Amino acid sequence: MDTLSRFDLINLVFTIVTGCCGVYLLLPHSHGRAKPILAHRIGYVFSSLSLISLFLFCRTTNVEFVTKAFFYIFAVASVACAILTITSRDPIHSALWFAAVVLATSGLFLLSGAQFLAAGTVIVYAGAIIVTFLFVIMLAQKEGRAIYDRMARAPFLATLASFLLLFGLLLALLGMRGQPVMGSGESKNITYPHRVVSAAERLRTRNQLSSKQILVLTRSLPASSELPESRLQNPDAAPLASGNHVASLGWTLYTEHLVTIELAGALLFAALIGALAIATPRAPVRPTMGIVVNAQPAEAKVS
Amino acid sequence: MPNDFSFEMLTNYLLVGATLMALGMLGFLSRRNLIVMFLSAEMMLQGVALTLVGFGRYHGNWTGQVFTIVILTVAACEASIALALILILFNRRSSLDVSLWQEIREPGQPAIVEPESQAEPELAVAGPESYPHLLTAGIEPPHPTGAWSNRRD
Repeated sequence: MDTLSRFDLINLVFTIVTGCCGVYLLLPHSHGRAKPILAHRIGYVFSSLSLISLFLFCRTTNVEFVTKAFFYIFAVASVACAILTITSRDPIHSALWFAAVVLATSGLFLLSGAQFLAAGTVIVYAGAIIVTFLFVIMLAQKEGRAIYDRMARAPFLATLASFLLLFGLLLALLGMRGQPVMGSGESKNITYPHRVVSAAERLRTRNQLSSKQILVLTRSLPASSELPESRLQNPDAAPLASGNHVASLGWTLYTEHLVTIELAGALLFAALIGALAIATPRAPVRPTMGIVVNAQPAEAKVS
Repeated sequence: MPNDFSFEMLTNYLLVGATLMALGMLGFLSRRNLIVMFLSAEMMLQGVALTLVGFGRYHGNWTGQVFTIVILTVAACEASIALALILILFNRRSSLDVSLWQEIREPGQPAIVEPESQAEPELAVAGPESYPHLLTAGIEPPHPTGAWSNRRD
């Protein structure tokens, strides 16, 4: 928070206030005697202003143009489609806008080098989960537009609460800007992991400790080989930037995160059984059903 | 693939993730349709996934992506069970409104009743009277005189 410049603070307050007004106007509730179309248009204007000022916070200095362009396209698309998801009157429109959010997010995954995850997100989320949503909307819809789709619950309080949360998150994230940067996992040949080195740097600059005191402090920490930094110390681990992405991801999944895989599989299994048991609520057939006491002979019925 | 995922780029990813999370929370709190509430919850999960992938890429390990795969799995399971439950609830009351299920609230609390005047007025959709009126074109075909069942061929 000490490194938040004045421009950042003003921009942040502007983003939150315009976003709050815009989304409040776009949420479905009555606007008194004003026409809803006018309220929607003003809401769209405010939301766009808020989006633009939110993306003024994003700094892309040492990035090539193509990456920058695609980052902005995907990020703006995801936030804009998110606003449209939560403010659509028709749940089918909400589901389709959410599909757009998922596509934009998977584009962002692709930009950060998670190729398998990008494809997997599109296939599982946009392909399976949203299609399931659409089927359920088909099976569970009323005739025409329902009144509960046009009525948001406590729109002012909900918008206030969510944008307060966003304010806190953005304040925390923007306050981290001026800190000495911990290195990414690119460098090799280090004796201490990066977080120890940078923590020592910060100690030195903030508390003006001498280098001898730093040495004493860092010696008391566990040796680098005992710290759980898998990538920086372990030369056998598959590097993140290797040629074969899926093979490396698979290697990591099945060696370091095997228990995670097994737990996820068990969860899927349990969910499968649970969904089948819940969604087919037929009365169970008891063994005594069908046996009638003091009945007429059933031969006439059988023939 | 660029190898330089700087701290600024990580901050950008975290900003977008935080925004998706807050917007998802807004949709969950304010909408009454069960399906849209659940979609907003899924959007919160997307925000978290974006944050995880950013951190994983920044620190150069696979943990972010592995846990995002777990999130994907959990979201799929959650979607299947939640949609099954939503179907059951719809079958009971023939409505997807969440405020119909208020008897599970705390004993001392009054039920939240929202007057219908708070609903947005529906926009009138133009009906068949607004369709364009087309003039007849071409030669009028011969109209059959009898019923179709006693054709003369």
